[in-house]
Amino acid sequence: MKFILNYIRKETWSPYVAGILLGIVGILAVLITNSLLGASGAFENLAGMIGKVLAPTTFDNMYFNFIMPPGISAGVILLIGVFFGGLIGAATSRTLKWGKKDSANSDKQWKMIFGRQTWKRWLLAFFGAIILEYAAGIAGGCTSGLAISGGMLLAPAAFLFIAGMFASGIATALIIYRRRY
Amino acid sequence: MAGTLVTIFLGVAFGFSLNKAGLTKYHKIVNVFRFTDMAVLKFMMTALVVAMSGLYILRGFGLVTFPNIPATYIVGNLVGGLIFGIGMALTGF
Repeated sequence: MKFILNYIRKETWSPYVAGILLGIVGILAVLITNSLLGASGAFENLAGMIGKVLAPTTFDNMYFNFIMPPGISAGVILLIGVFFGGLIGAATSRTLKWGKKDSANSDKQWKMIFGRQTWKRWLLAFFGAIILEYAAGIAGGCTSGLAISGGMLLAPAAFLFIAGMFASGIATALIIYRRRY
Repeated sequence: MAGTLVTIFLGVAFGFSLNKAGLTKYHKIVNVFRFTDMAVLKFMMTALVVAMSGLYILRGFGLVTFPNIPATYIVGNLVGGLIFGIGMALTGF
């Protein structure tokens, strides 16, 4: 029992143990709610909701009417849970940096590569997130929704997505890091 | 209501496992593309193996019916993946 408690307090688990936990969560999601885990779809549901209010004609298209209907979907609720899950994870390992200095930009490696200014971190995160969400819209899911959830149903789409993701990820890392690669 | 609670609980467990595997950190995500820290790949593949074998065993016993499998459209999936990788290496999502 004490061993388990101590393990929960560890900051970084063995990826195999965390992976088994996620695998069980994936099975339970299909078994109980008959749906797949996913993150990127929820943002599209929310964006559709805001868009329908602000610019109804622009958002009155195939995509937002049928493929990604706006509203508080199960994905949005799941995302709220993910937020608190991450919070609990950080709290149990005492790495929660709420309000502390440098809490918005605490990654050493990031500072080494891009500089220590916080606004840079936020700016790049913002535009990077636009790229991510756009790409997830094209492919039909993100790392969790397509690669992991699709992969566990042996969907060919998931493995195509993983291949593309790693190919361009490695190329981008090569460009950013150049000699430090 | 019960369904909502289950969904929130699943989300919490999902976020917790992501945090403990270190996937909420920029360096973990980028280093997998530099081949210096393969934790992301180990995590993803373990989850995949556990979930896919578990689900197919359950289906074999007739205990579960699969939801809609994500659609395959080769160019879309591949191009989406290619753009996604750029964002992933930049932000560390």
